[in-house]
Amino acid sequence: MPAILVDGLCKTYRSFRKAPGLMGAVRSLIWREHVLREAVRDISFVIEEGEVVGFLGPNGAGKTTTLKMLSGILHPSKGRAEVLGFTPSQRAFAYLRQISMVMGQKSMLWHEIPTYDTLLVHKEIYRLDDGSFRRNLDELVELLAVEDLLRVPVRNLSLGERMKMELLAALLHQPRVLFLDEPTIGLDVVSQARLRGFLRELNRKFGTTIMLTSHYMDDIQALCQRVLLIDHGQLRFDGSLNELVMQSSPYKLLNVTFANTPPSSQALAMLDPRISQRPSDDPLRLNLAVPRELIAETTALLLRMGQVADVGIEDVPIEEVIGALFTGQEQIGVAA
Amino acid sequence: MMTHVRMFGRMVGLNVTMTIAYRAAFFALMVSSVIQPVVSLLVMLTIESQGADLPFDRSQLVTYYLLLSFVAICTGCWVGEYLAEGIRDGELSNTLVRPVPYIYNFVTNNIGEKIVKLPLLLPILIVIALLFRSELSLPSDPLRWIGFGIAVVFAAATAFLLDFALGSLAFWIKDVSGLFRIKDLLQGLLAGQFVPLALFPPAFAPFLEVQPFRYTLSFPLEVLAGTLDGAALVRGFAWQIGYSVVLWLCYRVIWHYGLKSYEAVGR
Repeated sequence: MPAILVDGLCKTYRSFRKAPGLMGAVRSLIWREHVLREAVRDISFVIEEGEVVGFLGPNGAGKTTTLKMLSGILHPSKGRAEVLGFTPSQRAFAYLRQISMVMGQKSMLWHEIPTYDTLLVHKEIYRLDDGSFRRNLDELVELLAVEDLLRVPVRNLSLGERMKMELLAALLHQPRVLFLDEPTIGLDVVSQARLRGFLRELNRKFGTTIMLTSHYMDDIQALCQRVLLIDHGQLRFDGSLNELVMQSSPYKLLNVTFANTPPSSQALAMLDPRISQRPSDDPLRLNLAVPRELIAETTALLLRMGQVADVGIEDVPIEEVIGALFTGQEQIGVAA
Repeated sequence: MMTHVRMFGRMVGLNVTMTIAYRAAFFALMVSSVIQPVVSLLVMLTIESQGADLPFDRSQLVTYYLLLSFVAICTGCWVGEYLAEGIRDGELSNTLVRPVPYIYNFVTNNIGEKIVKLPLLLPILIVIALLFRSELSLPSDPLRWIGFGIAVVFAAATAFLLDFALGSLAFWIKDVSGLFRIKDLLQGLLAGQFVPLALFPPAFAPFLEVQPFRYTLSFPLEVLAGTLDGAALVRGFAWQIGYSVVLWLCYRVIWHYGLKSYEAVGR
């Protein structure tokens, strides 16, 4: 049985449109034009237990709405969602006890009190006996290094500290499925790296299925074997990051730094016309987007054109691939 | 069952802690719930001393308003507006992802506040009672006190469910604050908060008997005062329990459909 099964899932929001200004406000008292917005449109995918899947998309693509439907917060307008064999919108307690949701920009903790008080409530809510509570707590406190923060009111914590406590509260009952919505947003680089390490360890140790949205590609690259790309509510890609790059960008980036003089424009004209030049700040450095099948041949040709100090061959940065996909750019890697 | 009791107890404890954390706001609310009945009492005593023909004597007025303060604390409820805000800004999501009946959070919040308030307000009420001790007359019949206790419990349930059901309308109405202002006004007039219901013209009596606000405040005081005969008592308890059940059903129906409309706005 898959951990998560989504079949033809849709979510439509209903709102009303108001004309601007005072007259618009007065008119809206009498008559309102209702509009329907399809946040999620007919998406389907399957996630197996123990997978870590990145859920990517621009703002308003439908990522958070999907996570909210999977965690039982929102009712789907159409379609089917099953997580661990349960229908999330039914909010069966047996289901909610096996999942957790962490939202980077929305706290799930009670702010006025220390996290430890929240944990004591979670102990009862998630039916943890004293032994499991103590064991899980000790383990998480050590992993997250938050011993000193347990008894500090949440509102007095920094953003990074709060995020750790959010994770602590979300993981105390050892959920089988974890939904993370922008968990590293607002964190400094060090905290981001620590959090990634923690999540990797969590997945390795307990086999926790993780579904993660993030705008930081470092999060996705560090954690996710698989990505789902969503745009305008529709699933555009489902596969590994490598597949995404291979499929979306048939180019590799070839960066050559010459020791003294770069090749002349006549020499460069000998290169295959499918190769394009990318901007470079250094006059001695040549940045090229080269079709994958031409990379060896082009490198050899350039090495013969002058004295080469350095050569680098890399894939188009994943941010660029995804950014280009979302902006509808066709030749990813060509224009930087 | 025991798990629910422990969970409920822990949540009440948490809400007690949170109530104490909001010391300033809490103190203001606490004092306001005593000031209004005391001011009403002073106004009524002045009217009475100027020879107005009232169906209450001074002693009954003092007893009514002092006990009114106590019942008002026991039945007071503010969760509806917080609930509406939570539905509007998406904070309700926190409650929805936890394996706990969503109403628990609000019931325990209400009980937690009362646990903190009562021990702090009782001394204030005792001081006021001592000031008016010559005019205060409390019944000695234990049955009346038992009836009063039961009526207070149901009054608290009715007031809570009314507030909760009203706040739940935020699933469809974005701003329910206007409805709460109307409710507060009706509560003040029809629950016996400003003046005892017995002071209304007799023509209003049939309406006053059946409207729900009476059962959130005035009815327990009427039970204790012994102004109701046996049949009126049975009818009163039947109305009170009936309102609790109907409002509970309303809450269930509203949430059944409301959750389908919930948009969990914000991230």
